[in-house]
Formats: sequence, structure tokens, C-alpha cells
Amino acid sequence: MTRCSLLWVVLVALIGAPHAWAHKASDSFIYVDQSEPDRQTVRIDVALRDLALVVNLDADRNRDVTGAELQAARPAITQYIDQRLTARNGAGRCRLIGQQWGLSSHSDGPYAAGAYRMDCPDGEPAQQLQYDLLFDIDPLHRGLVQLTGTEGESLAVMGPDARRLDLAAPQVSALATFGTFVYEGVFHLLIGLDHILFLLVLVLPATFGHTHAPTASQPSANGNLRSALLELIGIVTAFTVAHSMTLALAVLDIVQLPVAWVEMVIALSIAIAALNVFWPVLGKKTWKLAFGFGLIHGFGFASVLGDLTSGLSQTVVALAGFNIGVELGQLALLLVCFPILFLLGKHPLYARAAVPAMVLVVSCVSLYWAVERAGAL
Amino acid sequence: MIKPMNRLLTGCSEMEMSERCRQPALCLRLAAFFPALWGRVFCGLLTLMSVGVADASPAPIQTQFSDTQVLVSLPNLASPALAPSQTEDQLATKVRDFLQQARSEGDPRYLGYAQRALERWPETQMTDRLRVLRATLWQSLHRFDEARADLAQVLATGNVNANTIQATLTLANLELVQGHYEAARRACGQLQQHYPGLLALNCQAQVSARTGQALEAYDSLTAAKDNASRLSATDRSWTEGTLGDLAAQLGRPEAELHWRRTLRIAPDDLYVRAQLADWLINQQRFEETLALTEGYEAVDSLAVLRAIALNRAGHDHADDLTMRLRERFAEARWRGNLLHQRDYARFLLDVEGEVSDALTFARQNWQAQREPMDTRLLLRAARANDDNDLLRVTRQWLAQANQQDARFSEDTRP
Repeated sequence: MTRCSLLWVVLVALIGAPHAWAHKASDSFIYVDQSEPDRQTVRIDVALRDLALVVNLDADRNRDVTGAELQAARPAITQYIDQRLTARNGAGRCRLIGQQWGLSSHSDGPYAAGAYRMDCPDGEPAQQLQYDLLFDIDPLHRGLVQLTGTEGESLAVMGPDARRLDLAAPQVSALATFGTFVYEGVFHLLIGLDHILFLLVLVLPATFGHTHAPTASQPSANGNLRSALLELIGIVTAFTVAHSMTLALAVLDIVQLPVAWVEMVIALSIAIAALNVFWPVLGKKTWKLAFGFGLIHGFGFASVLGDLTSGLSQTVVALAGFNIGVELGQLALLLVCFPILFLLGKHPLYARAAVPAMVLVVSCVSLYWAVERAGAL
Repeated sequence: MIKPMNRLLTGCSEMEMSERCRQPALCLRLAAFFPALWGRVFCGLLTLMSVGVADASPAPIQTQFSDTQVLVSLPNLASPALAPSQTEDQLATKVRDFLQQARSEGDPRYLGYAQRALERWPETQMTDRLRVLRATLWQSLHRFDEARADLAQVLATGNVNANTIQATLTLANLELVQGHYEAARRACGQLQQHYPGLLALNCQAQVSARTGQALEAYDSLTAAKDNASRLSATDRSWTEGTLGDLAAQLGRPEAELHWRRTLRIAPDDLYVRAQLADWLINQQRFEETLALTEGYEAVDSLAVLRAIALNRAGHDHADDLTMRLRERFAEARWRGNLLHQRDYARFLLDVEGEVSDALTFARQNWQAQREPMDTRLLLRAARANDDNDLLRVTRQWLAQANQQDARFSEDTRP
């Protein structure tokens, strides 16, 4: 106890802990922080008393470890930790890049503390921690681990029979990610009223432009349907190609546009496309219109997808899945709506009353959105 | 609490008990003073909430420290101590020293070094002496079944030598601590047969006292002590320790006298120090408790008793020790179910006032150890929670053993 009291007097000035240290079994403290995917860190605190068993901390052998002796032993300590604390993921071993080094304290005395940035070969988070310190000296030694992830904190203990610890939640398979994002794509197309309205006004010309065909005979109706479908496919393809391009550019961080502006321009694009049905200021080639405005709609999808993929490593898989989901949603919508509109188009009132009414409503709604979104800028 | 019985000579290979052998007596009180130790290696993710570790955020790293400051004073641990042992004798001496150091300082790190030293030795070359030492280690780590297995193997030889006597004594102690009084009585009987003397009398007095004959045990052990022609310091401190326990059980004030005699001879007897501190607290003699526990804050059991005394006496720095104990127990809980549950239960009950958690740990502790201190803690925690079923079951167990104790007589009244 005398030794403890002595130690205590010396340590008051240092760590400001005015008390004798507890006697407890040997523990190291390991803090893994993966809450920010770009900057994952690990800190390890090892008791000086334990380190003295594996590294020469007491060069003058007087049993007192001074600040100078600890500094002198720093390379040996760092090397010991480097060899016995490893982080890795599927791509290999992650480098531990020293950030800070010094002293800390726990209930049984002073500890050497090192904070590291974990740099894995593929830039992705580390998935496994391996801990091999001190077990060959003291089988009762434990590594007490605190994991901080995006979803909060958890604790773990590493021992001689449990030297490995899985850090991240088990990696989701690429197929599962793909499936999830196909679903998200479909879902976001169907709940995104502005994209649906845009599609509607794009396909409207194709549904009634053919009703003025010379005869209503069967073969000619087939001919009308074929040309209508061809026009439709051209429009949808142009829209799809355009928004796929910009969606990819945005999600892969190649081009970034402010979300609020994008949203407002999308609203305006719907209004313009609607008015273009009767006043073709932008020309009669609807596919060109679809392509041009499709570019801006791609950025709209990107803002949704960006929220979903934050913290996810399989961005490309997610992008592909989401895009395909959007196309499937579009296709489903058209398969249901286009035949109905096409049949309605045979009625004289359709072109004269229903279409203008729809154009009017869509224009008003989209202009209202545009004003509202402009207000939010 | 591990009782003061097993102070024999583990490490002596011959029957003759030289003073050298007696001095580094191995006391099985070890486990009582180690927080967080028993149990196996385990690993599992525990959520913060489920283990109740309030604050696991690390202290900041201090990057500035002067070259001349002494950061830590290292224990006297020669590096050969951690190297592989060349001979059985070397290993036995080393393990005994580690266990001894763990006991006298209340420092569980030495138990780890002892375990490692034994692990390095090939199982095929295990000797009886090493098995007895290993059993002592297992008992300190509350790995009772493994301790029993090692002892059984030593006793199965049927020989009578220092190792089997030590094994018998260790077994008696283990069974007594766990409340298996018939098994303890058998072991004490064998001890009396093969190694008659004060040692065996201590053993029998402890068992008798816990099974309805405290008064007779106290009187006969007192007589044996008085009649002994020459008592070694070890025998004396030990016998006084037992007499203190028996007097306390009888509610006699002489308990203090006996315990203080033990501490004069063996100041590092942490078991007796804790018993006496608890006794003083029960008599509201807080300043004396503080004097007795001064400088022992590193030892969990004594630190908890000190915290109780500081709080009851309304001392200014009571909060400081309470906070440090909180940190200590939080770290121990993080470590896992290795926690020393008796001390923690006592802390929760008498310092934190968290009676429900106190009961949980008092119960778990009682599954492992059933010394009067453990039983009293369980009864108090059960009463604080109005857990009548538990009170009834515990009283039944005491009645079955015919155990009476003045320290919890009111808790055993139906």
C-alpha cells in the first residue's frame, strides 16, 4: 500500500486524480469510431503497468517510469501495438495512421493512449478487429471495446479465446442491395407525383394525335396504335436515357446541383411540357423535350437516392438498382394508363375537352409548385 | 468470503513444516478481494443499456507531460517471473509467490500471471503440488468446479503427504465457503486425522459454528489456543482470526479484540480487516472504520466499506470515493460477469441505494459463496425489496444447517 500512496502523491500533479489507484485485473480500452464513413478512428489505452511487461519502460531500472522514459519507449510501444492490433476488411489490412499520442487514466492508474485513423485499402470501413496484446503474459487480460457506429454505441470484450471482433454489421450482399434499390426506385417513381405528371403530359400528344386518322377501320387502327406506340417508346426512351445520365453523374459526385433549384426547375418543366401540348413553343418533337427535361429530372432522383445510399459502400449497385426500379415503375404506369388514354382518345370529346382540362390542371399544379419551391430557395 | 483457514504451506514438498514454508502461507481468502474475476473467457456484444455502463466515453488524451515526472511506480516483478519455468520446483515457487502477492495486496493481476505460468507447463507433467496450487488459483477465480476436480485428483492418490494435506485443507475451505457443511466437516476430519493440531481445530471450529455450535466451537478453540505450548505467529494470527469470526457470530464484543490481534501480526490480512471494518460500521463507529481502511482504497471490499463509513459520517470527500467506485464498477461490468458481486451488491445497497440491482448481485453472489457476510447481504437486500419468498428460502437454508448468527438474527426472525 505504501507504494500506492507514493504513486498517488506523484500523480496528483499529472492527471489531477487525487487518490490511490484501484487494484483490478488488467484491461485495455479500445474505442472504435465508425460513425463517419470517411473518417474512421480507433483509440487504444494500455496501462503503463501492463506495457512495462512487454516493452522496456524503465530504462534505469529504478521501478519509476518517468515522462522521459515513456517518450523514449514510444517507438517500441507503437511497434508493439501495431503488431498486435489490426483492423481489416475484405480488401485487406487497414493502415493505422497515428493521430495523437499521450497519457490517459482509468480507475487503476495511468495508461498510454494512442489514437489512429483507420485507412483500409479500398477506402471502405474496417470490418474486423484483431487484438493480441498481453494475452501471452496474462490470460486474464481483456480488451474492452466500445464501438461507435452510425446507429449508436455498443460494447464488446476481447479475450484469449475471442481475439477477433466483427465491427460492421455483416456486409449486405450486392444482390440484396440491388433488390432493395429496385424496390426503392419503383416506390419513389410512384409516390413522386411530379415525375408522373411530367410523364403524363409527355405522352398526351401520342394519345390523341392519331384520332384524326382518315378512317376508323381495323387495320388503320392497328397502324395508329403502332405509330402511337413508336412515338411513346421514343419519348420514354429519351426521358430514361437523359435522367439515367444525370442521376449517375450526381450520385457518383461528378456533378452536383443545388436540390432546391432542381426541384423548382422540375416543376417548371412540367408546366412548360403541358403548355407545349397546345402551344409547341419548344417544337413538336416531344422526344427532344423529354430528353432535355429528363436531364433535370435525373438530378431530382439523385437527391432521393443520395439520402438512401449515405453510409453504403455499394453505391454503383444501388444506382443501377434504383434506375432500373424507376424504369420499371414508369413502364408499369404506362402499361396501365396508356391503353386507357389511347382508347379514350378515340372519343371526340377527349381531344377537345379532356386533354385541355388535364393540361390546364397539370399546368396550374406545376406552376403552383414552381412558385412554392422558388419561395423556398 | 473465503475464510481464514487455508494458511498452510503450499509449496513445501516435505511433511516437515519449516518456518520458511509456513511464512508464505497461502490463504484462500484471495477471491474475496478481487473484483471482476471469476468466469471464463467470453466475448459478446453487449449494448450499453443492458450492462448499464453509464459513461464509457474516454478521458481526453493528455499530450503534454514533463520528462522528470514520475508517471507510475512499477511493482517489484522481476522479468524472469514471467518467463517459462525450467523446473517444477521453480514453477511452484513462482505460482505460490504470485498467489501470495495477489492475496496480500488484493491485486488480481498476479492471478493472471499465475495462470499463465501454469498454462505453460505441460499437462502431462502436472504434479500434485502444482494441482493444489492450481486449485487455489481456480478458487480465487471462483472457478469452483475446476478447483474441486484438481483437488479430487490429488486426494485420489490415497497418499498422505504435504500435498494431500494441503489439498484436504483447501477442499475444506472451499466447501465451507460454498455452504456445503457436511463435505467441509469430512475434510476437516481427515485433516485432524492426518495432520492433527491447531490447523485442524480451526477447520472444525468453523464448520461447527456454522452448524449450530458456535458457542462450543468458540470455547474449545479458545482452550486449544491457551493450551498450546508454543504458537507460531502464523498459527496465532490465524486462530485469532477464527475466534474473531466466531465471536462476531455470537454477537460478542471480543470479536474486535481477536481481529485486532490478527492485524497486529498480519496487517495485510485483508479478510480480517474487512470483517473488522464491517463490525465497526454496524456499531456506527465510522471514524474508527476510516482509520482502519485508510490506505486500502485500492482493494474493492475495503474501499466499499470505507465509502459506506464516509457517507454515514457525512464526510466532505465521501462523494469522491463514491465516484471512483462507480467508475471502477462500471469498468468491471464492462469487462463482463467477472465482477466481484458481493462488493458491488454492498455498494449498490448501502451507498447508491439501488436496492433492486443490489438484490440481483447479492443473489448471484450467494450462488457462489455462502459465508455469513454473503448471507447477511442477501437477507438485507431481500428485506429492502420486500422479497418475502427469498427471505423464506434463505431462512429455510439457514434452519436446515442450524446456522444462527447475531449479525443477522433480526433478519432471520420469521
